[in-house]
Amino acid sequence: MVELRYVRHRYEGRVVLDFEQFALSKTGVVGLVGHNGAGKSTLLRLLALLETPTEGFVVWEGTAVSPRQRSALRRRVTLVEQRPVLFRGTVRENLEYGLRVRDIRHSAASGMIGDVVERLGLGSLLNRRRHELSDGEVQRVAVARALVLRTDVLLLDEPASSADRAAAGALYRALAAERAERPFAACIASHQLEDAYRWANDIRVLAEGRLSSVSPENLFRVELPAGEGVKQVRVGNVDFAVMTDRNGPLVLAIPPTDIFVSREPLASSARNVLRGRVVGMSIELRGAGVQVRADVGGVELVATITAEAARDLALGPGSPVVFSFKATAVRVF
Amino acid sequence: MEFLAEGFRRAWDLLAGGDAEVYGITLLTLKVAVVATVISCALGLPLGYFLATRRFWGRRAALTVVNTALAFPTVVVGLLLYGMLSRRGPLGEIGWLYTWQAIVVGDVVLALPIAAALSAAAIQGVDPRIRRTAETLGAGPWLTAWTVTREARFALAAVITAAFGQVVAEIGTAMIVGGNIRGSTRTLTTAVALYTSQGDFGMALALGLILLALALLVNIALQVLQGRGGSG
Repeated sequence: MVELRYVRHRYEGRVVLDFEQFALSKTGVVGLVGHNGAGKSTLLRLLALLETPTEGFVVWEGTAVSPRQRSALRRRVTLVEQRPVLFRGTVRENLEYGLRVRDIRHSAASGMIGDVVERLGLGSLLNRRRHELSDGEVQRVAVARALVLRTDVLLLDEPASSADRAAAGALYRALAAERAERPFAACIASHQLEDAYRWANDIRVLAEGRLSSVSPENLFRVELPAGEGVKQVRVGNVDFAVMTDRNGPLVLAIPPTDIFVSREPLASSARNVLRGRVVGMSIELRGAGVQVRADVGGVELVATITAEAARDLALGPGSPVVFSFKATAVRVF
Repeated sequence: MEFLAEGFRRAWDLLAGGDAEVYGITLLTLKVAVVATVISCALGLPLGYFLATRRFWGRRAALTVVNTALAFPTVVVGLLLYGMLSRRGPLGEIGWLYTWQAIVVGDVVLALPIAAALSAAAIQGVDPRIRRTAETLGAGPWLTAWTVTREARFALAAVITAAFGQVVAEIGTAMIVGGNIRGSTRTLTTAVALYTSQGDFGMALALGLILLALALLVNIALQVLQGRGGSG
């Protein structure tokens, strides 16, 4: 549907995005994960045709978007920004804004708004003004304002950051219901993995402006010292042994499947042996195993193990646990 | 004190008696002020929006020029305009010297920087997310500009008031290019200066009171507007 190709985007000379390809299929949902400042919002702005990449192309249905096509195509995509704002006026007037832009008649607009309002539970807020709403309500109205437009592409930047868990759940249910009725391409950027997993069927990781195919867990922004071979890198209160020749500001990724989980330290070649406590465990995700989340010296790491291994180790929240991984298992990008 | 009281009494007689000259001067002043305010705001508000929202080479210099122009001495503007409009000047042929149109031109030159600089500040005060949000919802450049302007409408109303205040109260330009001709270019400010120098303190005071009343009315109108708008 829409793609970014060979993108290198700069702000005031600094490269903020640098990757070969990022694509959204016609009905796919991509979860875009990364730290704050990783470039997620910028990537979404490029997809929304609000900015032009310094280098590279935005490709829409197989054709590079020309400056002439931008304004017409911009009506087929919408973005809900992180910390959205409402315009002066009532919630209803806000919901009507984009429809009026598209010259949709009042009677038709009312019907389109009604569906979304019901789905997102905004009925009681329609005549309120922005100063009468909580941050979470503003966020819901902003998502509704985007959904009523029925665009081909919906981009959401941290859509549930101001919502409590129940409200976030309602939001995702509403999005799922909308998609069941009318499939559209979507991309949801989040620094919370849970959000991405819950809604997306494809996860992409963005770190320091670069896309990575590695799993989105256990990412740490570090400053690697110069030199070769095994380096000790401090993350929080923990020293990681990392095997790399690279140096400077980079991102470490420890693939969760490369972490051995045990109750006691194992005699092995692993250079990283970290004691901690289990802080959470997921249910088995799409046959991909159980995720064990542990606090090791103030740093949270996720390891993926099979359901059988989890049972044998009798792990549960609060259990003491040892995470081990080799210095060569740590990816650097 | 007796002299002051006498002045007020004469002022009251002139105002209450519907003195033709007093009201003629007032109407001319209003005509000049309204036309000049409309022109300066029609040019200055879009210019302010442009300066506030577009990034271009020389933007900072343009803002500095506009901000400096806020402090243009009115007599200097009058003098330069006199040079342009006088028979030997480059615009002498249009024959506007000593006409109310010349006063309007001078007032526009003085009020345009106010309209541009203050509206740029007002637009810069609008949350930048408003503009981005309008764009994400498909609004084109004009609708986006309108949406942002709506958010700043009370600040912009204050800008228009300030421009009007400048135009109605200035004397230097009106005196030099208008010439203070009775019945055609005599405005409230030039008339006050003239009657004071002639010793007709009551007449000057009557006109001064009208000038004050005009300023008061415009500010009351602005406050009513702001009160009605609420915060949402």
